[in-house]
Amino acid sequence: MEEAHIIDSILVVDCGTVITKLLLLEHVGDSYQFVAQAEAQTTGKPPWNDLSIGVVHGVQELESIIGRTLYARGGITVPRTGREGVDAFVVILSAVQPLRVVLAGLVREMSLESGRRAVNGTYATIEATLSREGNLRAPQEMWARTVRDLMPDAVLLVGGVDGGARRPVLELAEAVALATSMLDEEQRPTVIYAGNRTLRSQVTKLLGDITHVVTTDNVRPTADSEHLGPAQSALEELYIEKRLRTAPGIERLSDWSRLPLFPVATAFSHVVDFLWHREGNADRGVLGVDVGAATTTMAATFQGRSYVSIYEHGVANGLIDWVETHGADRILRWIPAEMDRETLLAMLYNTELLPSTIPQTSQELSIELAVVREMLRSAVSTAWPTWDVGKAAMQATGAMPRTDPILISGGGIVLTPRPGQSLLAILDGLQPVGISTLLLDSSRAAPAIGAVAGIKPLAAASALESGTFVSLGTVISPVGQARPGEVVMRMRITYEGGRELNVEARHGEIEVWPLLEGQRATLEIHPSRHIDIGMGLGQGGRVEVLGGLVGLVVDARGRPVNLPSNPDRRRRTLNRWILDVGG
Amino acid sequence: MIIQHCIANPLTIIRTPRRLSHPGTVLMRTGDSVEPAQIVAQAIIPPDFRIVEVARELDVPLRSANSYLKVERGQAISEGDILASKGGFGSRVCQAPISGKVAGVGRGRLLLQAQPQIVHLNALVPGYIVDAELGEGVVIETVGGLIQALWGNGHEAHGVLRMVVREARHPIRPTHINASSQGSILIGGSTVDGETIQDAKDMRVRGMIVGSVPAGLIPQLREAGFPVIATEGIGTTPMTQAVFDLLRSLDGREASISGDIGNRWHQTRPYIVIPMPMQVGQVIRADTPLAIGDRVRILRGAYRGRSGTIHEMLARHVQLETGAHLPGASVDIGEGEPVRVPYANLERLF
Repeated sequence: MEEAHIIDSILVVDCGTVITKLLLLEHVGDSYQFVAQAEAQTTGKPPWNDLSIGVVHGVQELESIIGRTLYARGGITVPRTGREGVDAFVVILSAVQPLRVVLAGLVREMSLESGRRAVNGTYATIEATLSREGNLRAPQEMWARTVRDLMPDAVLLVGGVDGGARRPVLELAEAVALATSMLDEEQRPTVIYAGNRTLRSQVTKLLGDITHVVTTDNVRPTADSEHLGPAQSALEELYIEKRLRTAPGIERLSDWSRLPLFPVATAFSHVVDFLWHREGNADRGVLGVDVGAATTTMAATFQGRSYVSIYEHGVANGLIDWVETHGADRILRWIPAEMDRETLLAMLYNTELLPSTIPQTSQELSIELAVVREMLRSAVSTAWPTWDVGKAAMQATGAMPRTDPILISGGGIVLTPRPGQSLLAILDGLQPVGISTLLLDSSRAAPAIGAVAGIKPLAAASALESGTFVSLGTVISPVGQARPGEVVMRMRITYEGGRELNVEARHGEIEVWPLLEGQRATLEIHPSRHIDIGMGLGQGGRVEVLGGLVGLVVDARGRPVNLPSNPDRRRRTLNRWILDVGG
Repeated sequence: MIIQHCIANPLTIIRTPRRLSHPGTVLMRTGDSVEPAQIVAQAIIPPDFRIVEVARELDVPLRSANSYLKVERGQAISEGDILASKGGFGSRVCQAPISGKVAGVGRGRLLLQAQPQIVHLNALVPGYIVDAELGEGVVIETVGGLIQALWGNGHEAHGVLRMVVREARHPIRPTHINASSQGSILIGGSTVDGETIQDAKDMRVRGMIVGSVPAGLIPQLREAGFPVIATEGIGTTPMTQAVFDLLRSLDGREASISGDIGNRWHQTRPYIVIPMPMQVGQVIRADTPLAIGDRVRILRGAYRGRSGTIHEMLARHVQLETGAHLPGASVDIGEGEPVRVPYANLERLF
């Protein structure tokens, strides 16, 4: 009988765009704990062009911490022999270029919108959108030229509800076929067809001899329903095949690992999903945000269903593109000190040119946190349309559905020196409502835990329980109609020792009350008649909450958070909020 | 520990990759000697094309459109040629909108393809071909000086270096542009303005190297028509003294400069290559661990742009103005006490 492979130590390597993170998880006593971690520069780009170089440097640092050998004879020893090596070695990646996709479809608000959301579910960028809109004189010629000139990795062809439009979809397919036939074989895009299901065989017949065609369920089977999963899976598979498996040096890492490669976003969403199942709250979701150098990932689980959305900008790479599209004022408005546009742009350019550097002065930090706020705002607006809950409220007031906890990860935010600074950036960026505990993935272990869940769920669960995440505190965000300075809620805080504190929160302010990390308190909350704390207008109640590095926070600024238009007043307001949270 | 690095070296072995933008033909073989202007590879840019809707233009059914054609697949055509015609009552003709050939016929349409355009790739730097990758490009080995920069406007050129300022803190001004600037690559210390760029363009300078360029000037620089390279990036930071001194020592020499910075997923560094008539140069090992005495440049904070040497690799973390504590080193920048900088904000100078 074959002896079962006991997994007592797992090395996870997370190759990010800028930093490669290594975490060693080991069986200690009755639980699994992260016993050591190390970082190295990601070496997938010139002059190295080999991800494994950075990994080996990181492993050597780990070895010096744990005092035993992991890397020997030109590889990581798997499984462990005696004191050498690890039982499992997992690689997760986001350090590669996203898939380049051309989206082709019919109606902007229907199939194209669904197609766009499907693309946002994986590391992919939409290079161009082909549709009939705009009264083009020779649309097929333009579509074909676009595909041929862009040479994308994939064309996502959508359009037509099931049993609906035929001719316009086939015209798009013909243009794609023409463009593809003009490209050399190795340059031809994979065509993912996720439109009117009755056309699958015709589309395959039209394109199948020219290029690889994948057909999936329609992303928009009816006018008022959306089904993104299969198209997202097809795109993710293509990303793994075309990007992860061809990343420089990945062959070497795969040889050592022998486990499937994971995109970081997928691993991160596993953790969020795991937290939802652990919390077991049917009435609220769990949200996870990973602010990276090149992308911002938003993972959410509502009613047991997972959603992943990847916003194609982060805090460094692609910043200037973002500013050219959205304007520098969006970032400038969050800077609490006087700053001219030229200074801001220079710093943003230099951050993009040197993405692995970190803010050294207060001015540099304030810019980075302003960028974080805007990336979170943009990521939320990309993500919420894919959620099946809370759409009406988001559309009407911009108020997010209730999520608790909110997990925050990514070097763009967790390395902020003071916890109040992180908390305020999260509140400004996400603008949550109701009652939420904010968990900070300060050791940036969340994606690693998600990856471990795939091979040893017990170890992942154990690592989560062992305090991997740090609580920033509990935030109560009341929403509703109120005048500036008006009391929006009263609250009695009863601490574990029985001590009581009666407090109130006023509209437009952020209030922080002491509640240390690990401490619990019972709150008796009485919101005003027109105010909702997630329990209904004017409805209050008793809740038990968890403390954190910042404490118990009431963000009574309303939703959306409005900044004064006068620059001096705006800066004074921003500075007051920073002081309020101890930032 | 390995940290990011930058090469600013007077005599090293330089390997310059030259890649085609589209698959093509490499015209050189490994071992061939090349000069800057020499063509090393060529590629065919996908030709322009047109779809001509014959059936629609002649107002005839799709299935009968072929019978009105005056051309056949593969046939060469010139702009204005009659492609199809319908005589009799309501006669119509269909003319070629471009010159080229008929690439496809079917479904009542013609696909016309223009003459393909050939683009040539020059060597830019003199040296020997050490790698010729089929259809993709070459790698050229040169012995000489190499200076990597941070930002460039995408253009490239070959010319003679001319130092026009005295100090690294001095900008290039319109008064520095004169008849002798023509065909030269001008070296300034700190920065440059729009008026100077316009004067340089009028005077046909070959290129410009400065410390930094203002963010607001970037659109104009992209259209300048000659390479502009900023060793320190964007802003007003003067050129790092070590780089300035190196460039000053190379004044009057021929150089090849490239302002290509790639894209957000494939970043490349702009460079200045100064060929030397030597056979050997220093081999740079980028993955050797950082050590005391190594030359470094500071990338952020109050000392941004200063160069110095590692004085001590600190056992305790460096506290930053932001309040963060990070591993780092103390760096001797020649201005009294060494300054403490986190490793993340240091770049090793080779």
